[in-house]
Amino acid sequence: MKKSLPFILLSCAFFISLSIGATQIADFWTALINPGSNEILWQIRVPRVTAAVIVGAALGVAGLLAQGACNNAVAEPAILGTSAGAALGAVLGISVGLVEVGTVGAIFCGTLGALLATSLTFKLAALRGALSSFTLIIVGVAVSAIFTSFVGIASAMASRADVRSISFWSFGSLALITSENLIGVSITTIIGVAIAWRIAPFLDRLSLGDATAFHLGTDVSRIRLLALIGLSMVAGGAVSTVGSIAFIGLAAPHIARFIYGPSHRQLVVHSAVIGALIVVVADTVSRTIAQPNELPLGLATALLGAPVLIALVAVKNNVWRTQ
Amino acid sequence: MRSISLSTPASFTASRVVVLANGVAEIMQSLNAQSIIVGRDISSSEDSLSQIPIVTSGHQVLAEKVIALKPDLVIIDASTGPQSAIDLIRSSGVRVVKTPESWRLGDISVKVRAVAAAIGAQLQAEQLVQQIDQSLATSQLSWTPRVAFLYLRGTSSVYLIGGSGSGADSLLEALGAIDVGAKELDRPFNTLTAESLAQLNPDVIMVMSKGLESVGGVKGLLKLPGVAQTKAGKNSAIIDVDDSLLLSFGTRTSSLLQALAKALEQVRG
Repeated sequence: MKKSLPFILLSCAFFISLSIGATQIADFWTALINPGSNEILWQIRVPRVTAAVIVGAALGVAGLLAQGACNNAVAEPAILGTSAGAALGAVLGISVGLVEVGTVGAIFCGTLGALLATSLTFKLAALRGALSSFTLIIVGVAVSAIFTSFVGIASAMASRADVRSISFWSFGSLALITSENLIGVSITTIIGVAIAWRIAPFLDRLSLGDATAFHLGTDVSRIRLLALIGLSMVAGGAVSTVGSIAFIGLAAPHIARFIYGPSHRQLVVHSAVIGALIVVVADTVSRTIAQPNELPLGLATALLGAPVLIALVAVKNNVWRTQ
Repeated sequence: MRSISLSTPASFTASRVVVLANGVAEIMQSLNAQSIIVGRDISSSEDSLSQIPIVTSGHQVLAEKVIALKPDLVIIDASTGPQSAIDLIRSSGVRVVKTPESWRLGDISVKVRAVAAAIGAQLQAEQLVQQIDQSLATSQLSWTPRVAFLYLRGTSSVYLIGGSGSGADSLLEALGAIDVGAKELDRPFNTLTAESLAQLNPDVIMVMSKGLESVGGVKGLLKLPGVAQTKAGKNSAIIDVDDSLLLSFGTRTSSLLQALAKALEQVRG
């Protein structure tokens, strides 16, 4: 029961999210089993809720990979510069007319930006010898800030409409998702999750410290590189399609760790499911609570994710068991 | 769009006028009083005024620049500011007249008469009002389109739809079309999700030209979720109107109405 609970909750949330919105859908279940029958359901709501699941899973796994690779409880895409790099990569690709938002091309640019920014954080943090958690976070925050200002500058200067606004890139939004946008982000999420699954046993060893992992026969830098690539793919795909959604990368793996312990194979699955659950619920709240207006998604995810995290730490403050 | 002009020779009670109210320069041109305009605000952007100095920075009036032009009349409206600049102009001895703003078709004649009274052109004003009234009595449409007026700026996550009092409702009503936003929503502008737009399901979507450009033209607009599911989206029934003209409610409005009527006939599905 404990193992399947997040799956059951996610399934419930998925169907509830499909059934509610600005428009009342008559004969919801009939419409749902007849693809294409109801335009609002099939062309607006289904792509949007599906995107919430994919993006949530991607960000949950992104956080897990960041934490695992850095062996650091607060590492996450928003802190390592990964999200900001992805946003800048996508914005630049779109504004020079190379790619269109939501396409595989934009995701490629986003992933490249994510990879470059995250590598930059690691390189700068290691400038003065061994990588300390503290330096990594400080440098990561600074790199994020720089990349975010470039996103702002680029999106303000760009004349192309699909470059979108700084608020889209900072808070994220699923409002503009169409079914075509799902292809690219699905591909990166599947590949990224597969990488995470593949290296999960090695991340377990990495959590014992680099030296121990090395003596257990782990090629530490190769695993870290793979984690970095996986992280850039999942975060790059998600951010370049829906913008930066706060807090999932931090909250989902921590909640998963609290319930299911430190084994990374377990954590890959559960971080993905919990991430998806938070985003589906948050998006449902953000598009229904102030109808016919909607709230920025990032606000709702923070409102839902943060208290859970605080509660976990308050109840049992050794969520991060290796430190 | 051509404006209505009068042939009446003109003599006015003011000789140097600075115009700081939206749409007033256009009315003065129609009253054959362009020659007495010596300064203007940034919103008076007609090409024919390009030689006349602008005395605002952004939308802020610069009192010094106004006074330096030695005007004998400054025309303002409720939106003109800052108040300190207006006070300064007034205290330097210049006559300042506040004319009403126009948000509906019915406001046009009131505004024309107010501007005319300020410059002493009441006689011409009556002729102009008569001409405008005649041309506003437009032919009715052959159908009753349900129109949504969308305010677009880039691809933000939600739409702004014109509701009751947006100005567009007044134009559409005059043509015998239904403004779906005004029918359903109380505020002049309302945010709207993709689903709500799809549910309103307008026959025609009306936008401002620059707004349409900002979402990547008709092609970009039709790609946005919510638009594609409306009748307007399916039939590409999109009408775009020059930004400065659509809600200006001045002497160019009658020709706008005729053009709108024509466009609404053309997009009939």
